[in-house]
Amino acid sequence: MSAPWVDLDPTLVVVAAGTTTVGAVSGALGCFAYLRRQGLVGDVVSHSALLGVVVAFVLSHAITGSASRSLMVLVPGALIAGTAALMLARSVSTRTRLNEDASLGVMLSIFFGGGLFLLRWVQRQSPPIPGHTGLEDYLFGMAAAMTRADLWMIFALGGCAVVVLFLAWKELKVFTFDPDFSRSLGLPSRVLDTLMMALLVAGVVIGIQTVGVILMIALLVTPAAAARQWTSRLSTMALLAAVFGAASGAGGALLSASEAGLPTGPVVVLLATAIFALSLLLAPQRGVIARARARRALRDVPPPAAGGAS
Amino acid sequence: MIQRGGLEIPTDQPALDVEGLTVTYGQEPALWNADLRLSRGSLAAIVGPNGAGKSTLLKAALGVVPRVSGRVRVLGEDPARRRRLVAYVPQRTSVDWDFPTSVLDVVLMGTYGQLGWFRRPGRKERALALQALEQMEMADLAGRQIAELSGGQQQRVFLARALVQDAEVYFMDEPFAGVDAVTEQSIASLMGLLAHQGKTILSVHHDLATVPRYFEHAVLLNRVVQAVGTVKEVFHRSNLDRLYGGRVPANVPEFASS
Repeated sequence: MSAPWVDLDPTLVVVAAGTTTVGAVSGALGCFAYLRRQGLVGDVVSHSALLGVVVAFVLSHAITGSASRSLMVLVPGALIAGTAALMLARSVSTRTRLNEDASLGVMLSIFFGGGLFLLRWVQRQSPPIPGHTGLEDYLFGMAAAMTRADLWMIFALGGCAVVVLFLAWKELKVFTFDPDFSRSLGLPSRVLDTLMMALLVAGVVIGIQTVGVILMIALLVTPAAAARQWTSRLSTMALLAAVFGAASGAGGALLSASEAGLPTGPVVVLLATAIFALSLLLAPQRGVIARARARRALRDVPPPAAGGAS
Repeated sequence: MIQRGGLEIPTDQPALDVEGLTVTYGQEPALWNADLRLSRGSLAAIVGPNGAGKSTLLKAALGVVPRVSGRVRVLGEDPARRRRLVAYVPQRTSVDWDFPTSVLDVVLMGTYGQLGWFRRPGRKERALALQALEQMEMADLAGRQIAELSGGQQQRVFLARALVQDAEVYFMDEPFAGVDAVTEQSIASLMGLLAHQGKTILSVHHDLATVPRYFEHAVLLNRVVQAVGTVKEVFHRSNLDRLYGGRVPANVPEFASS
């Protein structure tokens, strides 16, 4: 029996490298979203990206005459749409009595609904725009369509995000833990907030080709939540989340290549979820089993000897 | 003049000088035309009912909330130019204590202001942080996860972080809230020590009964500053009745008799 990775074809190498990088980057970036309780923000960015992707596709068709599904074209569209949705949500919640969650939800509905509507419109064009059939892959991801140019895009954007994360580590950390204190140090909270959003948006847009806009949030939050179970150090948590994300990405690419018909994106997300479930159960201190055992140990301890103050 | 890290601080300037300060959240005024002057070495409590703008006054003095009008001077300068001389102890409950970090790491955050962007705390910063923990009798918990701390220990960590900042002016938001008697005592003696060294402390305080014991000055605040002065001068039942709308608990010591 030969191992499946001995005779990998070059396409699979590209796809696996891409999904692994996407998993690692979104795992690390997701830690901050998780700790700031901004999962919903990530969800808004990814769902809104659909509108940007479709608009970018249509524009590239209108401008160059040949519609492009390369990440070089679609990523800017996703970046703009995701950022616009966030900024609109922010301004709605500061200017009206709508709270932040509600305005984020409204923006998600508008942008995602708009994206779906436009997607259907594009698909009904006659004569059909070449390449339009692949567009709906952005809903659930189509890692197999990843090209070498897409891979470079993922490396470039993901690399930038990781470098920024590394350079501004202590500022992002203190801002996440204690925003008031970090303001009192003179750290610009608006800049840090924007930086955090930018990192999140970058993490989301490089991942939507792999897992799609609907499941992208899982790849951001699940590795972070799993990593939190095992460690109480932020740096270890980010590294571990990156490893969990990378493993899910690589596993998803290999599994879906070896078994015909398995969709990469959902497999990646299911693997991340499996890691999370195991972490939830087995982690040494925060795990469900460890906590039950600790409770039982406490119950079996005899009460303090008589004569004590209590 | 005193010299601090390349800064010259005129000693004749008040530690905090607030004139006509108005701060609003949305349309609600949180602070209205507040005037307040604290000389260096003051040990002052801000007291007042809920929603009186006590935390807002601290944040305005720190320069972290935008002011609608008025002027704030810390040691003679705009708060933004005095950050290195100011330490802040936020409300203990304002942060998530399940955040994945250690006691020493939180205290090290007090050095971030001096380090500036991109530089990481090194051996020198660690030594300073450990020293501050020592002073708060927390040195043996330096490696402890903050999730495992009691309320009193959390407050000691925050105070150690402020000590690392080695400031001239300390703004504290309810440092005594929810701590045990031993911690309360050590916080009080720390404040006394700092004030004795010429540092200035302005602290939001809720327990009226302990104001005379722990503080020398009082700021009576209910959106407007109703009175500022030494505890003896302003911390009277009549003032407090006015401040709280006549519902002051009976255990507040009477100053006329002391």
